[in-house]
Amino acid sequence: MSLFGMLLNELRARRGVFGVLFFLGLAGLVGANVFLRPHEVEFVYDAYAGFWAVFGLVVGLALVIVMKKIVQPMISRGDDYYERNS
Amino acid sequence: MSATANFFVHPSVGFFALALILPFIGGKGWKWLLIVPSLIAIWSVMTVAPGNYGELNYLGQVLQFGRVDKLSLIFAQVFAVMSLIGMVYAMHVDDKLQHIMACVYVGGAFGCTFAADFLTLFIFWEFMSIGSTFLVWLARNPESTKAGFRYFMYHTIGGLFLLIGLLLRYKAVGNFAFDAVSPAHMMTYDWMILLGFCVNAAVVPLHAWLPDAYPQGTVTGSVFMCAFTTKTAVYVLLRGFHGVEALAIAGTIMCVYGVLYACIENNARRILSYHIVSQVGYMVAGIGIGTAMTMNGAVAHAYAHILYKGLLFMGTGCILYAAGTTKLDKLGGLVHRMPWVMVFYMVAALSISGMPLFNGFISKTMTITGAAEAHRTWLAIGMEIAAVGTFLSVGIKLPYFAFWAKPANDKMELKPIPVNMYVGMAMGAALCIAQGLYPDMLYRYLPFEMEHVYHPWTAWHVLQSLLLLGFSGLAFYLTRDIITPHAKTNLDFDFFYRLIGRGIMALVCKPLAWIDDRWTEAYRAAGLAGLISLARGTVWFDTKGIDTVVDGSAYTVQNVGVLGAKVQTGRLQDYLGLAATLALCVFAAVWYFA
Repeated sequence: MSLFGMLLNELRARRGVFGVLFFLGLAGLVGANVFLRPHEVEFVYDAYAGFWAVFGLVVGLALVIVMKKIVQPMISRGDDYYERNS
Repeated sequence: MSATANFFVHPSVGFFALALILPFIGGKGWKWLLIVPSLIAIWSVMTVAPGNYGELNYLGQVLQFGRVDKLSLIFAQVFAVMSLIGMVYAMHVDDKLQHIMACVYVGGAFGCTFAADFLTLFIFWEFMSIGSTFLVWLARNPESTKAGFRYFMYHTIGGLFLLIGLLLRYKAVGNFAFDAVSPAHMMTYDWMILLGFCVNAAVVPLHAWLPDAYPQGTVTGSVFMCAFTTKTAVYVLLRGFHGVEALAIAGTIMCVYGVLYACIENNARRILSYHIVSQVGYMVAGIGIGTAMTMNGAVAHAYAHILYKGLLFMGTGCILYAAGTTKLDKLGGLVHRMPWVMVFYMVAALSISGMPLFNGFISKTMTITGAAEAHRTWLAIGMEIAAVGTFLSVGIKLPYFAFWAKPANDKMELKPIPVNMYVGMAMGAALCIAQGLYPDMLYRYLPFEMEHVYHPWTAWHVLQSLLLLGFSGLAFYLTRDIITPHAKTNLDFDFFYRLIGRGIMALVCKPLAWIDDRWTEAYRAAGLAGLISLARGTVWFDTKGIDTVVDGSAYTVQNVGVLGAKVQTGRLQDYLGLAATLALCVFAAVWYFA
């Protein structure tokens, strides 16, 4: 294993620290959004602080849940579906 | 470099020449020749002055090979750069046929880019189709063989739409000139040509060839394919069909549709293929909206996309080369064993996600901002939804399940990755970062004059991107157990293509089988009995006719011969007796008949 690989393995072991930094970063971004707004509103609601945060979270959750829990069970078949039916 | 040359070395020439001579070159150094056409192409497009170069009279038509303007030059520039990166990445490959077909394919793309008439465009369009089909087939396994045939069939149908359109257009207007059409006055032939282009641009629902074929291509072939086919289609759409409203809507649908499937796919190269559909959607939407900013956004995004998508396919190609699979349910825990592959992959993943510092940030935001400024709010929101899905699937899901999820994986056997593959990835990564940091590297070549200069590096744009991507990351964190990939086949429009194929087969085969059955029965009932009677008659004729005549003649000759031999005794008294007998017989006959 290379030195770089070992370093990355060490970082994996400290994922808790990165988790805390990630949440602190998100809070910092929302805090910054309170003071920093677009000069010209491109969408109706992006004048409000936190709009893009909510947009990213809600759309992300919706995409995963709808596709994995509702759509995929309807459209998925066995891994070799086309081979078996060709 | 500035445009100074008043002559033009067409970049296709180098690639086609290499494709022709490569089979005859031996020795060890032939692989260095692979980068020569790319270097010539870079020099050519960086030095040529705009103008029209090169015409050929063929079958009464004038083929125009060299329309050099700002639009063709920027596409040719990124094609040249990507061909160099791709060739470096492929230098370890010993199979010359792969390199030859890559050259045919890239040469075709340059030919399309500089073509000023539909006939020239069509010829090079088909070169691309042939070259890319071989890049799928040359993976040399049953799946790639089947996928290659399907791919070729789709593109043949797309090419036929283009051919029908350009012939109808020729009949109507009397020339093959390839210029912009007026969206308000499009004729049937224009729609046919547009349909042909849309097949190659993977516009939904004509897109399913892409996630079907690209994951089956060779490790290095898919790197070329992800860069040229759809982007050549974007170029011709920009050239001929900007401002067509249908493209604005279709493009936004592509943006969202691609990421929806990428969220549920298991094969890393299939995920990336769906993201080509999605990212090309931004370009198609920008072309359809048709303002200078959205069209420049489309061009800039095509440029950036070629670089980061090539890098993404190079990264997953390394995984395929080393581990033998790109199925995420079989991977995981590889970060410490392929650390540089992970780093280069992440540069591309952050680029496609539009993260500040990377080139997707300076291109994607231009198209979205342009759509918003053109008051196409719903289209812009659709593109933002796609941005969230892109970061979820390519930015986090794919690297998480390939490199990070599961404990450190020391058991999986990995082939060592050749140095040239790392060099190719490093070149792509360096350009992705450089363009992100210095947007003017790209913006200075944009072809359309804008009312105001677009500045991506504003505090608000950076904050907006970080908010969007950061909270998309939070969504992934909350749903990481749900989004876990599973070994499944997700039905797409290719399900319907196959149904149509089977329907056509049924339409053709069933009537033929019915006719064959009826013919067999009729043959058994009447034909066979007739033939038997005919055979019996022939036997009778042979026995009674042929045998009697031929055999009878032979026996007669034989008997006469035997008799002749018997009477020739050699004794004089026998001959006198025989002569007296004959004379007596003659006398009796004369006496009797007289």
